[in-house]
Amino acid sequence: MNKISWLFDRFRFSGSKKDFIKCLEEESLDFFLENILRLMDLYLSVNRKFRLNIKDFNARYAFKSLDGKIDASVIFKDSKMEVRDYVIKDTDVTVMFRDGKALKNFLFSDSPDIIASILKSEISYTGNLNYLAKFAYMANHLKYKFTG
Amino acid sequence: MVTLKDISLKNYSLDNLKLISRLREKHFNTQTEVCVERALLMTRYLVQQNGSGDNGKLNRAKSIHHYLANRKVFFPDDNLLGGTTSSRAIGAPLYPEFMGLSIWPELDTISTRKKNPQLLSSEDAEHCNLEIFPYWMDRTVLEISRKKYNNPQSLQLLEKIVYYISGKAGCISHCVPDYSRILHEGAEAIIAEAREKELLLKANSNGSLEKIHFYRSVQIALKGLVAYAKNLSVGAQKLAEVEKNPFRKKNLQAISKVCAQVPAKPARNFREATNSLWLVQVGLHAENINMALSPGRIDQVLYPFYKKDRQNGSVSVEEALNICCCLWLKIADNTNLVPEAAEKLWGGAGSTPAVTLGGVDKDGEDAVNDLTFIFLKVTELMKLRDPSVNARYHYLVNSKAYRQRVVEVIINTKAIPAIHNDVTDIATLENQGLTAEHARDYAIVGCVELASSGRDYVASGSIMFNLYSVLELSLFNGRKFTMNNEQVGPETGEVDEFRTYDEFYEAFRIQLEWMLAQAIDLNEKFGKVHQEIITTPMLSSCFTGPMDSGKDLIEGGALYNSSGASFLAFPDLCDSLNAIEQVVFIEKKYTLKELVLALADNYNGAESLRLLLKNKTIKFGTEKALAIRNSRRVVNDIYSILQAHTNYRGGSYRPAFWTMTTHAGQGKLAGAMPNGRRAKEVFSSGITPGSQAAPDLTEAFNAVAALDHKKIPGGWALNMKYTPVLLNDQREDFQLKFGDLTEGFFRNGGMQVQFNVQDYKTLIDAKENPEKYPEMIVRVSGYSAYYKDLSDAMKDELIMRTEYNLMGGRSVPLPDSYRPSESI
Repeated sequence: MNKISWLFDRFRFSGSKKDFIKCLEEESLDFFLENILRLMDLYLSVNRKFRLNIKDFNARYAFKSLDGKIDASVIFKDSKMEVRDYVIKDTDVTVMFRDGKALKNFLFSDSPDIIASILKSEISYTGNLNYLAKFAYMANHLKYKFTG
Repeated sequence: MVTLKDISLKNYSLDNLKLISRLREKHFNTQTEVCVERALLMTRYLVQQNGSGDNGKLNRAKSIHHYLANRKVFFPDDNLLGGTTSSRAIGAPLYPEFMGLSIWPELDTISTRKKNPQLLSSEDAEHCNLEIFPYWMDRTVLEISRKKYNNPQSLQLLEKIVYYISGKAGCISHCVPDYSRILHEGAEAIIAEAREKELLLKANSNGSLEKIHFYRSVQIALKGLVAYAKNLSVGAQKLAEVEKNPFRKKNLQAISKVCAQVPAKPARNFREATNSLWLVQVGLHAENINMALSPGRIDQVLYPFYKKDRQNGSVSVEEALNICCCLWLKIADNTNLVPEAAEKLWGGAGSTPAVTLGGVDKDGEDAVNDLTFIFLKVTELMKLRDPSVNARYHYLVNSKAYRQRVVEVIINTKAIPAIHNDVTDIATLENQGLTAEHARDYAIVGCVELASSGRDYVASGSIMFNLYSVLELSLFNGRKFTMNNEQVGPETGEVDEFRTYDEFYEAFRIQLEWMLAQAIDLNEKFGKVHQEIITTPMLSSCFTGPMDSGKDLIEGGALYNSSGASFLAFPDLCDSLNAIEQVVFIEKKYTLKELVLALADNYNGAESLRLLLKNKTIKFGTEKALAIRNSRRVVNDIYSILQAHTNYRGGSYRPAFWTMTTHAGQGKLAGAMPNGRRAKEVFSSGITPGSQAAPDLTEAFNAVAALDHKKIPGGWALNMKYTPVLLNDQREDFQLKFGDLTEGFFRNGGMQVQFNVQDYKTLIDAKENPEKYPEMIVRVSGYSAYYKDLSDAMKDELIMRTEYNLMGGRSVPLPDSYRPSESI
């Protein structure tokens, strides 16, 4: 049963990976957050090493677009990742962003775009910046893994 | 005393100093590696200790001890001195209690990034990701402060990046410890004193537990340093036993012998003293982040040992020169760990440990000695980014021969050392309440900051303050126009309400006072968090005060206390104020509203206005009365506002004008200014008149010297660029004029000046072809850097700095064809 479930996850993962790469290449990045959360969730389920990132890690994240179109939350608890499509309370960090592109720049901070995003108030956060850094590492790791 | 017959030591070069030549070449060919050893050992120790019942102070000291006593013993090359800052040949140590976690998102890419990559093994990346960072993510200074003070407005402003940078989130470090006591008496003497004082307090029923813990912490931390040296001694001996190469074997044996003696016991000779100083520096870096922790007056501290060895014939000048070159390479064995975005905006800096040479002694007598000249020779030979070398010059006491030798080294290296004026610097420190004796024993911290050696805990990197943002707030009634017009500062009036320049300036002053209060508020909050979690027992034992009072430096134990605030965009601000006063309020050519509308649109469609402001207005760097008055007024107001505040250690806030590379990075983030500067152009550095703003060299010097140096107790960085002389027969005149003009500037009240002896053409070529100039060293704004490591914005700023033809005394026009980079 576990093997079947693992194979099913691998199959779903393969599809998500394609979506993710496609999403990174697109200008609008409307589904960036959804894709990255989906991919992260799946990769955690299929990759034991990646799962170490959330071992004993209890944290609550919320993501909210400034136009109100995107709301999502992530809860890491008991070595599991849970995604919700609304903004939760009592978070360790809450990220407000203009759109998917701003969030991408912020998470994949391989250029001073991150600073430009802050200056233009395209992105802001409340809470502990280190939690965001950890999430950004996990997201970057996926990007690095799949896009080289 | 000077006994050298040839103070230039012309007979010595890298051709005949083979060991040094080899070590130097290896240094330049070694890539920086991230070192996680300290972070890993300390984290594992602290994880084990959770719930041990120890208080934070003792735990901090014990974790430092644990790291020092258990760290890897490492001999990366044939350097004559033992001890390394990290376990890498050139290491970027990770300090997780500060900003080390900022590289978390980049763990997979930091080794391969384009700009200044820092190698990190996948094993160490995993240590960071799974072990070190998770432990510290709720325990950094920044996050503890955020939680404790409920994310105050002052912290939110910091995170907007463009108002001020608060150093304490990332370090304090900036100070000059006193190494003399350990060198002369040994660390064991200080441990014994601390033990005695601890027992005395314990015997007294009223003995303060805080003080008992302080003295206990000093012992624990210093014993860690002693243990590290012993391990080095044993390790070197073991390696020597199996070493086949005769030189290497002998050197390892010598290091083993030296490290068996120092720093635990008094140094008996020059080599032991130099190694002891270095080991203390290594120990201090185990406790304090590697940021501007400055060795200070090493020609004074080491001189008694050198003199004794020379007198008894146990060291030759060549041997001393070798040892001193080795010290330079040791000091350069580490750099800062920097995330990519910061590297692009502000990168290229080393860890800026400043050394200070020459000047006068505590009694006001000439302090220049043989070792001063040996270290100048070392500076000339090595041409290293670190240490940041500074020469003190007292025009009434020091010899002209010394002055000219300093000038010669600057010309030969094209950049180093910086020169500081003893007369103004001493008077400025006395004005801050230091005794004459203590003021005379000042040394430079980091870039240009002044501190009495081992007495003055200056924390000079506490605040870096952006004057541009304050000007913007005053032009937009407290709103940050370039950030969605958000109301940030107090409402000080719309521009069409100001009837006079003074009314407008008052709005600026109110915004300045308000924003400085925010920066100070955050510094105070961070300072209090440091008091709770980041005590510094080892550093405290190297200062006058803490060992008597039983108070750590962070709790105000030093004899003198202060916090430094450095201001960037000062020249651009002065030029903008001049332009507003002249064009709007005197000549009435435009209204302030028209000017502000042009700024809001980055001068699009207002090119004639921009050219008027840029080319036809009075500039800082000229001797026009309006320019002198406005620049002095800003300096005076900053001084008055800052000095009205007292810091958490009971000291004052000291203004300064040095900018490292932030003037380039922050310029790229800023909007247009009333001096005709377009958005995203770099600011002028330090206190240096703007590019092409001051065509006459003497006038430029006079305009800067007209600022009241007593109101700039943190020091300033004046960056001047001279066209190099190509013909040998002009060299003597060039050198003499160089020295005379510098002295004239000092006699008029100038505090400091540093030079790049480079022309536009060479700097442009080096930007386009970095591979042709792998070792080109430049002065940035307070420290030295390798040109190739700097961001494009910073390279542009160096290119655009006004080049002066020294002999003619006039500026050389910037080539019309030159265009700065659009990108960062």
